[in-house]
Amino acid sequence: MTEHTLPDSLKTTFCGLEFSSPLVLLSGCAGFGEEYTRVAGFSNRDVGAVCLKGTTLKARLGNKPHRIFETPAGMLNAIGLQNPGVDHVVKHILPALDFSETRFIANVSGSTLEEYVEVTRRFDDSPIDAIEINISCPNVREGGVAFGNSPEMSARVVAACRKVTQKPLITKLSPNQTDIAENARRCLEAGSDAFAAINTLTGMAIDVETRKPVIGNMQGGLSGPAIKPMALLKVLQVYQVARSHQVPIIGQGGITTARDALEFLVAGASAVGVGTALFYDPLVCRKINAGIADFLARQRIQRVGDLVGTLDTDTLPLTLCAAG
Amino acid sequence: MHPKPHRGTIFLEDAEVLMQERFPGEQYVLRMRAPQCAASALPGSFIHVTCDATLPMRRPMSIMRVSNKDGWVECLYKVVGEGSRMLASRQRGDIVSSLGPIGQPFVLHPERPRLLLIGGGVGIPPMIFLADVLRHDARVQWNPLVLMGSEVPFPFKTRPSTILLPGMPDGVIGCMPLMEDWNIPSRLASQQDFPGCYSGFVTDLARHWLQPLDKNALAEVEVFACGPTPMLKAVAYLAQKLGVPSQVSLEEFMACAVGGCAGCTVEVRTENGPAMKRVCVDGPVFDGASVFPLS
Repeated sequence: MTEHTLPDSLKTTFCGLEFSSPLVLLSGCAGFGEEYTRVAGFSNRDVGAVCLKGTTLKARLGNKPHRIFETPAGMLNAIGLQNPGVDHVVKHILPALDFSETRFIANVSGSTLEEYVEVTRRFDDSPIDAIEINISCPNVREGGVAFGNSPEMSARVVAACRKVTQKPLITKLSPNQTDIAENARRCLEAGSDAFAAINTLTGMAIDVETRKPVIGNMQGGLSGPAIKPMALLKVLQVYQVARSHQVPIIGQGGITTARDALEFLVAGASAVGVGTALFYDPLVCRKINAGIADFLARQRIQRVGDLVGTLDTDTLPLTLCAAG
Repeated sequence: MHPKPHRGTIFLEDAEVLMQERFPGEQYVLRMRAPQCAASALPGSFIHVTCDATLPMRRPMSIMRVSNKDGWVECLYKVVGEGSRMLASRQRGDIVSSLGPIGQPFVLHPERPRLLLIGGGVGIPPMIFLADVLRHDARVQWNPLVLMGSEVPFPFKTRPSTILLPGMPDGVIGCMPLMEDWNIPSRLASQQDFPGCYSGFVTDLARHWLQPLDKNALAEVEVFACGPTPMLKAVAYLAQKLGVPSQVSLEEFMACAVGGCAGCTVEVRTENGPAMKRVCVDGPVFDGASVFPLS
């Protein structure tokens, strides 16, 4: 593989957008699209899309430190949606991005329904390729997961945003709810074009010496390999709702290797998100791309899309996927 | 398209461990081969290293010395947790993944050639790097003083200084031999009654040197510091009280270290009010008065 030419087998389409690879850099892990290019050898061309940092109507300072903490096979984070506000992003950040390198996806967050709508409206009037609705951020008091854990509220947010944009609308689903499939079904009816599953799981860590929470926000979102099995099942559950509507999923949660990515593709994800794994290996996307391409060649599969949703469930009890 | 000068400035290198030397107090000096990092690192730069494949996150470590010619970087760290404990078990010939150099370095101002360098504990390394750069800088006749504090034995054999230093309390004659070799005055502080060391905080020793200086002398002084947060705060306060600028190098838990996750931020006072700055790429060196304003 030459430096910036990925094999044709990795090409895929997502909501009508051409992706050079099924890999997507996840919101909150790659800043506003340029940060990782500081690393020599890293290229945005190695991924199909980059999800930009969660953006709100006004600038937010975010949470007090500590914002991150390593846990077994994972990490907690509670950034608190630090961002410069949508107008700054549209006016100053998007014009500096090179849209010939990859697709850029905005991540819309808010504390009220009106804020989600207004931020979506402003991104609609921008060169952004798609809009991800973040109704699953666990680290803010209002909005975020408070909306995302209620199928009714999730659907209302999606329906309202749907009215103000024709761009592909991706709903980022929370794992911190009883029935992710029901939530997906309601969001689908409300007009969601795609899903991202899953956001982080809520968790915490305690410093026993001081008896204080380690994370400044007390609770944070758990990511990394520790959550992969849970994420995989959630993706399968969402896929069972979304497949008949041809609504694609960005599967995400602890993906670190090509084999992890392949599992999500088989479970029904059309694209796969990479986040925490970047922190250990900033060039991990190249390795995952190469591993997926090798697998496809070995299995004589022409396009990565042909692998999506190919899980063999013939031998499984039908009740498995209905379990909350 | 806009120019993108930031691109490709941080290098991911499989760094061979060339030397790992243990000092009392579970302190280690680690030298590893990372030629691309060595070629562009500056005082204040840090590297983000893997300690073990079983840990999902890297650890940031400030750079103590580099050899561009021989392609190595050297760090001093203390075992404080699982990651540093695992790093301490790395031996000569092992490979550590190094991401660096990262961060905004210390900035020198030729109109302020009297430099007070204050290092506390594992905050000592950037001061050594800075001193090394100063002695090779032919543009300006820098006049540095290095003060170091530690509550565990210093990671070098101390000895009485042969460089006279006005303003120092009686008996404070212990120095770092490497600084002496470089003809740079240094003095040491500790609360552990180490011989030749000032008995107290390194910031109090700094006050002994700074306070007698008159206005004209202070106009030539700038303070550079790295160490524990309470020390940096004391340094920033002292500098502000005397009307002297200070630059402090901070640390915080860090995930990406390239500016992507905003996990390592610190609150900084700016013209436009408070802002959260990333320690990794906006820092680690910040204006002391912005991070620790007196009022």
